Amino acid sequence: MKSKPTFGLLFFFLLGLLPFVAALIYALLYSLGIVGILSEGASISYWRQVFQSGELIGSFLYSALLAGIGVALSVSLALLVSMGLRTSLQHRFWSLLIYFPLAIPGMVASFLSIQLLSKAGFFSRISMKMGWIDSLQQFPDWINDSYGIGIILTFVLIVSPFFVILFSNVYQNERVSELSTLAYSLGARSNQVFWKVTLPILFSKTKRIMILYFIFLLGSYEIPLVLGQESPQMLSVLIIRELKQFDLKLIPEGYVIAVAYTVVIAVSALLVFRRREVQVHE
Amino acid sequence: MVKTLVIKLCVFFLFVIWGCSNQSSIQQTDISDWSSIDSLSRNTTVHFMMWQGSPAVNKYINSYLIPEVKKRFNIDLQISGGQGPEIVQLLMGEKQADVRSGQVDMVWINGETFFQLRQIDGLWGPFADQLPNARYIDFDDPYIGIDFQQPINGMEAPWGNTQFALVYDSIKLPNPPRTLDELSQFVKNSPGTFTISNDFSGMSMLKSMLAELGGSPTSLNGPFEEQKYQTLSTQLWDWINSHNPYFWKKGETFPREHTKMDQMFASGELLISYGFNEGGIEDKVIQGLFPTSTRGYAWKNGTVHNSNYLGITYNSPNRTGALQVINFMLSPEAQLVKMDVNGMNSNTVLEIDRLPEEWREKFEQATQRQYGPTMKSLAPYSIQEPAPEYMLRLFEDFRKNVIEK
Repeated sequence: MKSKPTFGLLFFFLLGLLPFVAALIYALLYSLGIVGILSEGASISYWRQVFQSGELIGSFLYSALLAGIGVALSVSLALLVSMGLRTSLQHRFWSLLIYFPLAIPGMVASFLSIQLLSKAGFFSRISMKMGWIDSLQQFPDWINDSYGIGIILTFVLIVSPFFVILFSNVYQNERVSELSTLAYSLGARSNQVFWKVTLPILFSKTKRIMILYFIFLLGSYEIPLVLGQESPQMLSVLIIRELKQFDLKLIPEGYVIAVAYTVVIAVSALLVFRRREVQVHE
Repeated sequence: MVKTLVIKLCVFFLFVIWGCSNQSSIQQTDISDWSSIDSLSRNTTVHFMMWQGSPAVNKYINSYLIPEVKKRFNIDLQISGGQGPEIVQLLMGEKQADVRSGQVDMVWINGETFFQLRQIDGLWGPFADQLPNARYIDFDDPYIGIDFQQPINGMEAPWGNTQFALVYDSIKLPNPPRTLDELSQFVKNSPGTFTISNDFSGMSMLKSMLAELGGSPTSLNGPFEEQKYQTLSTQLWDWINSHNPYFWKKGETFPREHTKMDQMFASGELLISYGFNEGGIEDKVIQGLFPTSTRGYAWKNGTVHNSNYLGITYNSPNRTGALQVINFMLSPEAQLVKMDVNGMNSNTVLEIDRLPEEWREKFEQATQRQYGPTMKSLAPYSIQEPAPEYMLRLFEDFRKNVIEK
């Protein structure tokens, strides 16, 4: 009976962990100039270069900011929708409408955003037809803009439906409505019920998923590639740019960023995972 | 039981590894003996990695080239998508893993990629000047025989010939700017309608500007000179930064690639776009993306004129097949079809005067372009592709001195 899990573990090691670890080691060696056909011998100069230029730190903060705002807005919007439309959501039509954006790939969502939000896009044209602006140029800058507005809006578009569904399910499974009724019967006002009962329950059950979504958005590629600007760039876009750059001698810098990013994410994912285990044993 | 499974798995993986390393070594190829190449190449498969981003190019390949080489030589031509960086990365990876029999036999490249592939010894050759159809090509033409100021030495065969052109709408903008001074006036009068893409095309625009600051069409010719670059580029960044507020999005950001510029030109957001293939105007007007009043022109001091090439990879498993296909692609027949204004519409690399009488007539009678400029009209305004270091530095410094400022 014991052989089954061992075999599964071996399989996981061979197909899941081994390639990942091998790739990471390869990237590490590349970043240190140890492998690579144009390598000029081991050196930490690439690491020094990357950290001195400040681009990695800038990109990391920028990505974290956009991903954080993206998750926060999505969660707020999802709360509003799922709590506001609780009864309508059980209707087939509305639930279908909510599920629909989940099926849109990031690349398609990005182009959708361009069609809708760019200066020559749908809303811009409508605004001009309505006489709110005199020329398309006056429409606010939401695509490839300095504040990442297009990126954030697209994040919200693809992430919030998931949280709507999640919150609705948690609301039902955790019997929040019964608990609310109880709170009401003990004299709580509706404001208090929301802030002291509903919200804490929903948050405590979903906060790890929020963190995972944050990590997911932090590493997203297609959306910032299409909608982002040239500087600062989000992490994945920066890494690919460095890896594909024209100057082949500087490719190790791309591996430096990739390794640094992987280590940070792996460590934080591990922390999230560990805390979960602690809670299970409580 | 676990033990046997582990052993089985290990044996399986060993087989996989052994299978990967046990590749046939490549035979020596003697190009001077074309009849043996001809017979060896028949009934084989050739893998061609090329940029597949243009419907016109894809149509030429799929509905002309592939059926023709099948019919003539029974060669199965397999296309895989990938341009410059993908090709370089693939070959770097294969070189690193010591793959002796590569995935790809031939590649379509430009000077940028040629420079990179030369750094890693990724190409096999020389072969180009020994092909039977090479007799129609003038390798002494500096726009063919010299790529990024480096002699090609037979390591790649020219396939197409192109000049960088600026694109404008002759109704909206009757007198487009041709010099930095005129551009300065233009962006001040129509702010937000000009930009520089952070890619090959944008850097080619910067090269035109740099050459103008250098004072003549030949000012960037010859090997890279640090001092000259420093002087000229400082002037260039000063010029750009002083005009930045009049660029697209007030110069706070720049498009990643010129296809984006083409889209914005089509939607009217930009008044000027640019690109190789003489601006890529003809097919975009025919597709309906650009208005029929779209025209192209060259910078007064000249825009970059260069060729694109076909190369054979250092580890090609089927060199003879690749040689056969490349030779056919350089034949008068294949080049004439490639020139079709309603098709791929790419300039021939053949020297018309060297062709047999019947083909010369056909080339001379070919339909002219309706919208885009001809190579002939741009020829007085062409400059050679400067040494690759200029491109490296422009990329780096444009980011440092303009984008991140």
